[in-house]
Amino acid sequence: MLRYLLRRILVIPFLLLGVASVAFLLSQITKGDPLSALIPERMMSNEAVVEAIKTQWGLDRSLPERYVIYMTRLVQGDLGTSFTTRRPVLTDIAERLPATLELVIAAMIFGCSSGFGLGMIAARFKNTAADISARSFALLGSSLPIFWSGLILLYIFSVKLGWVPGTGRLDARSIAPETVTGFFTIDAILAGNMPALLEALGHLVLPAFVLGWSVTGIITRLIRSSMLDALNQDYVRTARAKGAPEHIVLLRHAFRNALIPTLTIMGFTFAYLITGAVLTEAIFSWPGIGSYAVSAARSLDYPAIVGVTLVGAVAFLLANLLTDVAYAFANPRIKIAG
Amino acid sequence: MLSSKSNRKSGKRARLAALMTGLLIGSGAFAPAVIAQEPDTLVIARSIGGLNSLDPSRAFCDTCQIYLSSVYESLVTLASDNKSLAPNLAESWEISDDLTQFTFHIKPDAVFSDGSPVEAKDVAWSFQRLLNLKGSPSFLMDGMESVEALDAKTVKVTVSKPNSEFINKVSAPYAAIINSDVAIEAGALADASAATADDAEGWFLETSAGSGPFVLKNYSPESELRLIANANYYGDQPAFDSVVITNIQDSVSQAQALESGAVDIAMQIDADTMASMNSDEVITEIVPSFNFVYIAFSPAATRANGVLTPEVREALTYALDYDGIMDFTVGGNGAKQSAPIPNGFPGTSDLPLRTQDVAKAKQMLADAGYADGFSLIAGYPNDNVYGVDLNLMMQKVQQDLAAVNVSLELQPMTYAVWRDELTGEGLPVTGVYYAPDYFGSGQYVDYFSMIEGTPWASRAGGTQPELVVNATEAELYQKALASSGETSESYYHQLAEEMIGENIIIPLVSPNLVLAFRADIEGVRYSACCNLPLAELSRK
Repeated sequence: MLRYLLRRILVIPFLLLGVASVAFLLSQITKGDPLSALIPERMMSNEAVVEAIKTQWGLDRSLPERYVIYMTRLVQGDLGTSFTTRRPVLTDIAERLPATLELVIAAMIFGCSSGFGLGMIAARFKNTAADISARSFALLGSSLPIFWSGLILLYIFSVKLGWVPGTGRLDARSIAPETVTGFFTIDAILAGNMPALLEALGHLVLPAFVLGWSVTGIITRLIRSSMLDALNQDYVRTARAKGAPEHIVLLRHAFRNALIPTLTIMGFTFAYLITGAVLTEAIFSWPGIGSYAVSAARSLDYPAIVGVTLVGAVAFLLANLLTDVAYAFANPRIKIAG
Repeated sequence: MLSSKSNRKSGKRARLAALMTGLLIGSGAFAPAVIAQEPDTLVIARSIGGLNSLDPSRAFCDTCQIYLSSVYESLVTLASDNKSLAPNLAESWEISDDLTQFTFHIKPDAVFSDGSPVEAKDVAWSFQRLLNLKGSPSFLMDGMESVEALDAKTVKVTVSKPNSEFINKVSAPYAAIINSDVAIEAGALADASAATADDAEGWFLETSAGSGPFVLKNYSPESELRLIANANYYGDQPAFDSVVITNIQDSVSQAQALESGAVDIAMQIDADTMASMNSDEVITEIVPSFNFVYIAFSPAATRANGVLTPEVREALTYALDYDGIMDFTVGGNGAKQSAPIPNGFPGTSDLPLRTQDVAKAKQMLADAGYADGFSLIAGYPNDNVYGVDLNLMMQKVQQDLAAVNVSLELQPMTYAVWRDELTGEGLPVTGVYYAPDYFGSGQYVDYFSMIEGTPWASRAGGTQPELVVNATEAELYQKALASSGETSESYYHQLAEEMIGENIIIPLVSPNLVLAFRADIEGVRYSACCNLPLAELSRK
């Protein structure tokens, strides 16, 4: 198991270099003018300005030269400077990734826990009002566009009812807790700042619900179908015949087996949301990595594009690895070869 | 044993559940507002994604204008009437009769935020850096021959040719005066090597070195820009201790934040969203702006296939339903504009407005040999700016031109691709926008006129400049720059008429601005140079 993990981890840097190369080259050959992020439209006919900017940003060099320079810096941990923010891409990512992770983790906690619960209820009480209600909630979660549900829920619960605060990670008037991890909730705890913790959690509730609701939809349907399958298996009948309580039958026998196919989806959903929570981030003014990715793509900011691509690649590779490990824990019959 | 382990587990679970429940309940409806806050903070909702730099000599965007005019100061500024100049860092100035020498007298008590005095050497260094850095706003210093400190508080700028517009350019927030001593220490350069060797841009993202009423506290790209009052400000202290420009991208979200009280001012509310707002605690006002959206014809674009002759261009302008376009794009909340110089700028009074005449358009096209029409490609940025969705605007244009048998193939594209197309083989028709960099008509002549070498003459003329270049405009512009006051204005008027007659740049709408703010906020106004002067704002 340990050797297997080590082998998988050691391959990751090489995979990332391949991903970075592909991302770099694709962003270079994509139609568009990367100078658009560096020079305003009215100045693009000014040759002196164009030349100065090209020299400053190394865009006057040939593609192979740029590639070699970029990759050399990359292996030294330098992701370059963003054309749009004018800051090191690593700084941008370090600032934005915790915001996204905090949101996605909260969304996954809500989405998975509600998905597990609703899926089990739907399976246990198949074709009853409880099943229909659970499935309807799940269906709404997966079918409502986030930009619509986000705006509507924000209007109802923030503007009209005032139950939750508005957009952003904190009230704009508030001062963020001192950065340690970049997770406002954790940093607030570390600083012993309970008001900041409560405010950060308050700001997290609605975006995490909106984002997590779509996860609920996927997980509920998967758990329901897997549970229905498991509940018809011999081992469940045996457990019931032996007089095991219903909650033990459901949780220990049926759910554990139903969980295995869901683990893959959970892993990849988590990885996808790292760079794919852009709509939620836009509506809730959440300064995360998704909106950074969109901004980078729109302006052909290739240092940022490659940086975000690497974050996405790391997320998928780790999710894949953790899913494999989780398989082994969820199903003892699965052995990871060393 | 089993039972005791189970009990311990249950106990832990119960405590965890109680903690989570407590946190969830406390986090939302009952979250107390006792987190550390700035004493009195003004919060402004605005999309700040376009903010490209906080370095005055490199920044070039609408949000940059707000920032620079709050943290730095230019020598002169635009008065609240949006047309006359007022003293700022300079208490007075003299202009030589031949309009080539500009002498500024700096206020004796003016100091930078670190307490050091603002001196003529800082002005000279800032102007030289602006010119030599070849950054986006460097054009403001075009033609500057020299800048010299006559004494500690007097500076003289000499330009190579008479230039009555120079004093207006100096009022732009980008012509900000920087504390040269601290900037040099941070790696900023002003000499000829600045374009490639200056590496102070990162430093300007973290600190400010101006003499304005605010200083930069923190900038987080696409998240927030936080300013605090400049404790060493030599003028009247601003009413707010702190100002936060928080990034909220869309109009609806900005309106929601404003209605809920999360922000004090929302800067990009469109007219439709404004109509849906009904809070007594929010004030909305509609004011004219100097921004405009336009379509442009490029006769030399490869894919124009030579059809965009002067007669055809004129015919196409008659096909457009200008009132309908304004209704369609901004619900009537705008103004028509005939020349590519905004209404209210020098030379624009009494210009004839364009009108629709479909029969005339058809006749002119028939006379030009295009009775059966033709097809054209229209590429444009897939953006929504100043409340105008360029997609909607171009769809309306497409509909209007279809009435005269001209088929417009719409090609929305990202801004980066649009720029590539525009500078490559050109776009026969495009639709885009413009906002002023300072108060003065010269910038529009520099950009939109068909004087050889201007951006739009290069695009519209491409490799065949003879198709568009207009020598009369060059003469008129020279005369406008060599004169001032009403004489200069009359030349700009003639220039505007020339630009209308060229039918290359066709302004469609000057969208109104919606000023939306909480009822307890005072002093909100639109400034042509600075967008929103923060130091004038206060809470009742």
